[in-house]
Amino acid sequence: MTGVATAPAPLIAEHSAAVAFRQTIALAKRSTLELFRQPALVVPSLIFPLFFSFLGNSSFGRTTSLPGFPKVNSYLQFQLAGTITQGVLFGSVTGAAALATDIENGFFYRLLAAPTARTSILFGRLAGSTLFGALETAVFVLVLLPFGADVSAGLPGIIAMIISGALIALAVGALMSSVALKTGSAEAVQGTFPLLFILLFFSSAFFPRETMSGTYKTIAGINPISHLVEGLRALSLEGFSISATARAILVPLAIAVVALFVANRQLQKRLRAN
Amino acid sequence: MSTIATRTPTLTTSDMHSTTARSSWQLVKRGLINTRRLPSAFFPALAMPIFNMISFSGTFFALTKLPGFPTDRSVNWFMPLGLAMGSAFSGVGLGFSLIRDLENGFFDRLRMSPTSRISLIIGPVLATWIRVTLVAVMVFVAGTLLGARPTAGVMSYVCSWVAAIGISTIGAGWGLALAFRFQDMRGAAVMQLSIFLTMFLSTAQVPLNVMTGWLHTAARINPVTNIFRLARAGWVNANDADYLSWQNAYGGLIAIFVLSTLAFVFALRSLQKIDN
Repeated sequence: MTGVATAPAPLIAEHSAAVAFRQTIALAKRSTLELFRQPALVVPSLIFPLFFSFLGNSSFGRTTSLPGFPKVNSYLQFQLAGTITQGVLFGSVTGAAALATDIENGFFYRLLAAPTARTSILFGRLAGSTLFGALETAVFVLVLLPFGADVSAGLPGIIAMIISGALIALAVGALMSSVALKTGSAEAVQGTFPLLFILLFFSSAFFPRETMSGTYKTIAGINPISHLVEGLRALSLEGFSISATARAILVPLAIAVVALFVANRQLQKRLRAN
Repeated sequence: MSTIATRTPTLTTSDMHSTTARSSWQLVKRGLINTRRLPSAFFPALAMPIFNMISFSGTFFALTKLPGFPTDRSVNWFMPLGLAMGSAFSGVGLGFSLIRDLENGFFDRLRMSPTSRISLIIGPVLATWIRVTLVAVMVFVAGTLLGARPTAGVMSYVCSWVAAIGISTIGAGWGLALAFRFQDMRGAAVMQLSIFLTMFLSTAQVPLNVMTGWLHTAARINPVTNIFRLARAGWVNANDADYLSWQNAYGGLIAIFVLSTLAFVFALRSLQKIDN
């Protein structure tokens, strides 16, 4: 006589938010470890912004006395927010490219075949990028601080900056993940890099908007990167205040919400296509 | 019984020169055809200098208000930088093409053919010069539309073009040498990074009198500073110390000659290593 194996009854109950959360954590752990195991992928997004900071400090150090330039101790203090944004932008492309690679090499579809919560695939990847964004921000602040990049808002300001850096990474990571999910190509994700580069240079990341003129000033004014940078810069230059903290956190948070919505839609589209 | 007389062809020096010239010309043609068939590979070298010029002129517009800044037009200062960057990467791009040829075996076929080794370098470099000239024309047109105005007439364009050709030659020699050494895409990262650092550790962004600290020291000893002085000689104000004159030009010409020679000696020696 053979016994009939019965499936455990509370399967549906187990597919709860707690399970999805555990799966997201596991996938976040995977994506974070992946970044640390391939330093060649992440080191440039740390080294290049720092190099540009020191280069800018020596090149543009005298410009801080120009009319329209905010009151700063050094150009490095002004540049800190730009450095964080630049590093986090570039780092987020790496995370999204890894998602596209998962699609290219079939790992994404193996996850779909497993009883994995669909949103965990996206959020797990983004959690890794967000963590890396926070880490990058902390590294930039700690490295530049001894050279004159003071944070007027003190320790609470540094914590707010780290949160802001993480949110910027989440926002940009989600946007780039939309590209990864739509195209399924790591090359296409890397191809968006020049677009980010253009957005960065047509913003107030390296020089204040007050010193610009004409069309360029208008473009920098409507460029979302300018608003991300200026939120962080407020903490660095103006000291800790509710308004500075709100600007530093709410602007990237708002962009992140929109970007997550777009990324989730792309995920649903890809799921429907399969 | 008849004997068949065989004749061994002997190559005269003149024949060898004509072989080098013919082979080089064929490689120039190949390079130009590739540019036409693969515009996506050429487009970044064209777009980058224009983008650089626009973004830098706009972002750092206020620099011209600093006392002692050599021009009151930011585009006059940043147009030669854009052109120099585009030229350097056009030159280094030759290294990328060579890596592709090495990986897909085309370069081995060239090496087995009865062509002189020097033509394998001269041909692609000549093709790069033609591409850089195209880039220079586009940059000058875009610069003029953005408000760039020469202060030394035609010589302003000539000096910038000579500097661009020089930088592309140095970049090409360096790119070829590294491609011969690495023989795979690992070389590409080293090519880009080294050119990027050398360019920016000079007067690429601001003149020496505006710089402070360590960069001032680095830029003073960096020969690329002399090349930038040549490139900008006809774009700075006529009363500036760096305005077009033989004193401000010869340093750049010497830097181009010395760096190009060193880069090509390195490239030829690396090619000989492959042959051995």
